Amino acid sequence: MGFIPLKPIPEKDRMSMIFVGMGQIDVRDGAFVVIDEVNGERMHIPVGSVACLLLEPGTRVSHAAVKLAATVGTLLIWVGDAGVRLYSAGQPGGARSDKLLYQAKLALDDSLRLKVVRKMFELRFGEPPPSRRSIEQLRGMEGARVRKTYQMLAKQYGVKWKGRRYDPTQWESSDVANQCLSAATACLYGITEAAILAAGYAPAIGFLHTGKPQSFVYDIADIVKFETVVPAAFRIAARHPATPEREVRIACRDAFKQSRVLQRLIPMIEDVLAAGDIEPPPPAPEAMLPAIPEPASVGDQGHRSK
Amino acid sequence: MAMLVVVTEAVPPRLRGRLAIWLLEIRAGVYVGDVSQRIREMIWEQVDALAEDGNVAMAWASNHESGFEFQTYGTNRREPIDHDGLRLVRFLPQEAN
Repeated sequence: MGFIPLKPIPEKDRMSMIFVGMGQIDVRDGAFVVIDEVNGERMHIPVGSVACLLLEPGTRVSHAAVKLAATVGTLLIWVGDAGVRLYSAGQPGGARSDKLLYQAKLALDDSLRLKVVRKMFELRFGEPPPSRRSIEQLRGMEGARVRKTYQMLAKQYGVKWKGRRYDPTQWESSDVANQCLSAATACLYGITEAAILAAGYAPAIGFLHTGKPQSFVYDIADIVKFETVVPAAFRIAARHPATPEREVRIACRDAFKQSRVLQRLIPMIEDVLAAGDIEPPPPAPEAMLPAIPEPASVGDQGHRSK
Repeated sequence: MAMLVVVTEAVPPRLRGRLAIWLLEIRAGVYVGDVSQRIREMIWEQVDALAEDGNVAMAWASNHESGFEFQTYGTNRREPIDHDGLRLVRFLPQEAN
């Protein structure tokens, strides 16, 4: 028998997400399994081939399973009902100090931050924003455009729309369209966070959004939100489904596949940050390089498994 | 990205679990998935290192004339042969086994 290490594969070669509700998550013969304790059924999950696993209430995860998910670079996300609330995520960010410092440098300098925000605006709306605008002004323009887009899509799919209103503590209280939108954005945030971590950046250091553990996730997700999950959510909402979350997830997975979001996310993150037009900072001359360098991996740079 | 099928026979559970990390085991020892060339090669390295005395066949979609390619590990009654540049399989009689 030969020893052969287990390594992560690139984010772009993966499926988007798998939701797991109910069951004991464990490792059997080295594979990631969900065991239904009532009738002892096992379900294999190709953990290395998905970007993120969203664990819903009713799951228990063994230490071995968390270790395996970390080794293959798959993000575990603990979510509430319907994936709307996020409790925790299983991969610490900032695995690459050079990328973290680069991101922080761009966020700290006002003129660099404006360049990055302008690039986000350009990628999102397909045209560069008018020059000489502050971030505050860009935010205002963005808000107006977003409200108009929601109205337009609601009209197109024949959904009653009274604006994006939701109460994060009372999920059931919002209307069907808003519930579908919340479930859909949760899916998008999951894969976006997995991509940001895989690329080696920090989810908390945002440019437009700030002050939340996932600020950068919201920044990046907003770029593709209106071409992927929002139309999918409205399409489902128009049908008044019995199980909105399930249908929204399926629709989101299709939307991600069609728009090749997973393939685009990491290059998009690099593209947005490159708008600042600075190089990642080199290590200080007296800095100690690692005594035992990381082995080469087929995966992405931010995966910290051996 | 291309469709990939791996069929294993008499391989250790260690390899079977390992393959289930990326592929879906649709029948005992039969795995399918959709992976890139790099990942396929990585999966083959796992097979090569962990299959021991078992035998494994791996086939994937490609733009060859036949639309697919395959490779094998270990011995089996079925042997790949080259037939005028086309890869076919020769089936040995029982006694030759």
